[in-house]
Amino acid sequence: MMIGRGTLLLIALAVGASAAWAQAKPDFSGTWRLSGTTPPNYPGSAGWGVPSPTISIKQTPAEVTVQSGQYGSNPMTVVYKLDGSDNIWEAPSVTQSGTTATVRWRTKARWDGTRLILFTWNTALNQMRDVMSFGNGTLTIARGTEQPGPSTNATLTYSKAQ
Amino acid sequence: MLRRTLSIAAWLVVLFGFLVLAPRASLQQRTGEPAFAKGGAGEIAGEYEVPDPNWPQWAHPYPKPGYIWGSQGGVFAESADRIYLANRGELKLPDKVPNNFPGNWGFFNQMAATQPIANMVNCIVVVDRNGKLIEAWNQWDKLFDWGRGPHQVYISPYDPQRFVWVVDDMRHVIYRFTHDGKQLVQTLGMLDEFGENDDLTRFRRPTMIDWLPDGTFFVADGYGNTRVVKFDKTGKALLKWGTRGTGPGQFNTPHGIAVGGSPPRVFVSDRGNRRIQVFDTDGKFIEEWPGIAPHSLLMSADEHVWAVDSLTDRIVKFDLSGHVEYSFGQFGTRPGYTWAMHQISADSEGNLYLAEVFGGRTQKYHPKPGADPTKLVWGRSLMPMAAGRTN
Repeated sequence: MMIGRGTLLLIALAVGASAAWAQAKPDFSGTWRLSGTTPPNYPGSAGWGVPSPTISIKQTPAEVTVQSGQYGSNPMTVVYKLDGSDNIWEAPSVTQSGTTATVRWRTKARWDGTRLILFTWNTALNQMRDVMSFGNGTLTIARGTEQPGPSTNATLTYSKAQ
Repeated sequence: MLRRTLSIAAWLVVLFGFLVLAPRASLQQRTGEPAFAKGGAGEIAGEYEVPDPNWPQWAHPYPKPGYIWGSQGGVFAESADRIYLANRGELKLPDKVPNNFPGNWGFFNQMAATQPIANMVNCIVVVDRNGKLIEAWNQWDKLFDWGRGPHQVYISPYDPQRFVWVVDDMRHVIYRFTHDGKQLVQTLGMLDEFGENDDLTRFRRPTMIDWLPDGTFFVADGYGNTRVVKFDKTGKALLKWGTRGTGPGQFNTPHGIAVGGSPPRVFVSDRGNRRIQVFDTDGKFIEEWPGIAPHSLLMSADEHVWAVDSLTDRIVKFDLSGHVEYSFGQFGTRPGYTWAMHQISADSEGNLYLAEVFGGRTQKYHPKPGADPTKLVWGRSLMPMAAGRTN
């Protein structure tokens, strides 16, 4: 049985659309509230990587903006570009000696399927990697941090604030 | 009066216990025999003369005026005339520097040279036997931005090309440069991305490398992960071993590694667990040597493991069965004393080099006249350079 050219095109479109649907990028926008308590293994200096009780995310096709207290002793608004390029700026951070200094910050983001990986570094030797995924109304963040001190790993779950 | 005298005497006893007995107690080795017994706690520089504080020559423009070299992560003596120094950036000096300032950050005695934020410049330099600058690899300084500079530096003793390997722990990579530093030919790991213990494509703050004669090499990984990764000579990861914990084959900060013996064994400084663990080359656990927490290890030409202990600032010589044969060294910032020896190297003339991360200096120790050769560190001879490659 011969299949017409039009039918083949229709099938190809259907398969393509299906694949695109499967890989649709989730929108993490919203205000999220931490479920449970802060994991106990957070020895980092001055709050680096310590989960905020709430986190506010604004997502556009070009960037993700995160407002949170997880970047140190004071809440910060941090932008991650979604085209894979670096975002670099200067802002205060607590250094390893415990003093606050203006240092360089850098962020980067990458999609891994439907997971969004956010990288944060600063020249006070703080590093954070958040792997964000979304399902059943829950935001899950697999977080790893590095500093000259101990490393941390934690899985954090957030639910949408009403 | 009597009360005051007794009080002073009590303090002196406590001070004696702290300075002399405590370091000894932490250096108990596997036989239960204190390591200091083979050297003596009073031996500051052992069979070496007190180092010249002016080596290397801190001549401008290295570092620039008003700055000083910071934490010294690594040192590797390719020969007595070509010594690589791995500098973790330059630090700004205080506005007023005392006249007797000897030129190293540890002099200030208040803050380790790792803690201020450093400018990543002059990170890899090469000096001659007099400490005079031969090469500055400033073209690669940018690699160390966003990190804390080179962790350690090496050349495989079995490599006729004499590639130079540099570990960058904070950026999670290991670089391989041509001998002259003009080309970066390989990067192991993924820049700025750390991986977990079962990930063979990424490190998590790797610390040190050593080689087998066929080019197979082993990486201690590291501060973040708790494993050793074995690579073939091309850099392909073959296997890994280790998990977090305190049992046999488990690690807490594997920070140093040395390979040698017959059959070859892999000696791993399990720093956080205060021991050296010994494995075969496929990661099978053989034994452990407790009571020492080395920052770094060195396999010497006469097949001994030399360890630089983070607990006592002593340099300890082990035979390959874990018996302590000799030790010397003491914490301090004066010449000959050390503050956190991070890499140990030696040349074939018997000169010893120690890079200090907290002291912020690299010291060169020259043997005393008539020194007992069994108490000197002898660097492994490097394979002759391949034809057509010089410098």
